[in-house]
Amino acid sequence: MSARTLTAVAVLLIGLSLALPALATGYVVYIGNLLLVFVVLSLGLHIVIGEAGQFSLAHAAFYGIGIYTAALSAKVLGLPFWLALPAGGLLAALCGLAIGVLSLRMRDIYLALSTFAFGEAMQWVFLNWTPVTGGPNGLAIPPAEVFGHPILTDKAAFPLVAGVTLVIVALVAGLHASGLGRAFRAVRESEVAAAAVGINVRRTKLLAFTLSAFLAGAAGGLFTTFSTFIHPDSLGFQTTILVLTMIVVGGVGSVTGALGGAVAFGLVSELLRQVPSYQEMIYGGILILVMMYAPRGVFTLVGRR
Amino acid sequence: MSKHSLCRIALAVGALAGLAAPARADEPGLTPTTIKIGMFGPLSGASMAYGFDVMNAARMYYDKINKDGGIHGRKIEIVQEDDRCNANDVVAAVKKLVEQDGVFLLNGGSCSAPVVAAKDYVVRSGVPWVMLNASGDGALYPPQPNIYGAFSISQRAMGGSVVEFASKELKAKKIAYINHDDAYGAWNLEGARFQAKDNGVTLVPEAVSPAITDVTAPVLKMRASGADALVIATYARPAQLILKKAQELGFNKPIVIAVNAIANLKQLSENVGSKEAFRNVYIEEVLAAKPGSEKLAWIYDLYKANYPNLAGKPDHPQVYMPYGIPSAMTVVRALQAAGPSPTRAKVIEALDRTDFDSGVMAGPIVLTKAEHAAQKSSTYFKFDGEGLTAVPGSFASRWTYQGQ
Repeated sequence: MSARTLTAVAVLLIGLSLALPALATGYVVYIGNLLLVFVVLSLGLHIVIGEAGQFSLAHAAFYGIGIYTAALSAKVLGLPFWLALPAGGLLAALCGLAIGVLSLRMRDIYLALSTFAFGEAMQWVFLNWTPVTGGPNGLAIPPAEVFGHPILTDKAAFPLVAGVTLVIVALVAGLHASGLGRAFRAVRESEVAAAAVGINVRRTKLLAFTLSAFLAGAAGGLFTTFSTFIHPDSLGFQTTILVLTMIVVGGVGSVTGALGGAVAFGLVSELLRQVPSYQEMIYGGILILVMMYAPRGVFTLVGRR
Repeated sequence: MSKHSLCRIALAVGALAGLAAPARADEPGLTPTTIKIGMFGPLSGASMAYGFDVMNAARMYYDKINKDGGIHGRKIEIVQEDDRCNANDVVAAVKKLVEQDGVFLLNGGSCSAPVVAAKDYVVRSGVPWVMLNASGDGALYPPQPNIYGAFSISQRAMGGSVVEFASKELKAKKIAYINHDDAYGAWNLEGARFQAKDNGVTLVPEAVSPAITDVTAPVLKMRASGADALVIATYARPAQLILKKAQELGFNKPIVIAVNAIANLKQLSENVGSKEAFRNVYIEEVLAAKPGSEKLAWIYDLYKANYPNLAGKPDHPQVYMPYGIPSAMTVVRALQAAGPSPTRAKVIEALDRTDFDSGVMAGPIVLTKAEHAAQKSSTYFKFDGEGLTAVPGSFASRWTYQGQ
């Protein structure tokens, strides 16, 4: 992502933060919040798949860990939002680190399957650890508190969600341009070649999984600022596939692609609720058309480097 | 003019203005000629059977009311959203209906776990929410000021009713009870335990996973307990496995299948595959009479008249279709009771005084300020694998919320 694109994103988000709460309905702002969470989630998956080339199918699990940790930190420990959010990210990052250790032994389809298994195991935990997660009953999330003020509406949450998202977009764009970003891409292209030029492949892969999981957990923390309930059904494989679709259709390996894919497919998913009988067909049709006519991603022309 | 006269004139003008004024300008979803109602439920996807035709049923009832002149001269206008039985989609649908479409009240929700996701928002927004057919225990207890549901039956009441039937009608002193090891199971077990204690009978519960594939162990355990009757309070798939296994293992006591397990009786019978397995089986039904019977014929006739294309298809109306009627009836009655200038507050007040026999459900629809779960009773049928024979009377749960 170029500095120009990043500036445009910043201007857009700041503008929306000022305008949306005043002009739009709570529903529109809610969708805005949800799209920004998808942006952070997609950027997380972008790091591990798009940058480092490691196949991970556990993203919904990290997202769930982030949501439950942030929610429980606030609910049980009474932590304010600015501590609960990184707590969610940090616990997810720890789990990501563990998956990263696993990834050192596996690659390709084996790695995909093992991360899928982790995702399914976490889904089981969310569903069955009833005293902690609420199990199939779901978990009520208390309103996030900022400087002692509870955030009770989507409109109140939007500037906060937009602000955190902007910081994360900037950090991921910076990472892409940094030496670590180049090391990620070197590992993606060839681990042998990367090792030959002095890149610590083991450490790089571990970092990719950890950072990716941290962002997914942070996305979960952001979700708790405007949502008051979480149910394990929302954290299954379907969510991972949705985020995977976002980064693939947006453009694998491109920050702009992940960002654009998240916004576009988040919107498509919501708009398709209006055409119940045909939504799966339309969704499938869009995917086929994109794969046929823009196989490298819809948004890659905007910011691919 | 004296001060006294001025006051009297002011009061009279105020009273007249109050009478003449339509609903307050800030009361959303109302025009002089319409009342906007937001409906939501699964209109697509795997859970569609729980809501698609249930919504159709409620809509056709509202159409009937409109044809009969509406409510105090206002026609009901429906805005419909697909919630895909998914918590995030339920929230999006509800927020869209309330904030974008500006509905006056909500009549939606067919899936019990996801509807809970909208609870906090609905309470904060103050919009009256009358659920369609979700048992919705998680949103109904503790009672919220503007949320009403369980028009088919709550999970607690289901558990209570089925134990009432087993102990009173089947004279069982010890009841084996197989439920799910999830929230629904915990909810209906709570009602079952209460009723068992109240009736002085012993309950032997056994929780199984909804995804269970081998039920040998729980069925053996239930048989070994020496129970006089077995209650199956699971979903359809485990229920048919348990029935099959109970027959294989020679369990010869009466078996009562709760309403959760009866998505399709014909399918249940085919999947169990043996008529012998149904030699002593009873099923719970929350409708007032056998589906398709004369008492409920008007609903099926109305469906055919309103949706001729759907009615011609083999799987329509879907089994839960009539469940949409009592919630729509409740909404209509509350709107009528709220008078020609309704407000949300007046409708909530009217909902809290609901007490009528819908003629559709097994028991009366009763709502009070302290109890927002509408229906507590079930009817029972002997099922031989093909036909249904009604057991006279209905059996009600007595469980009440104790502020747990």
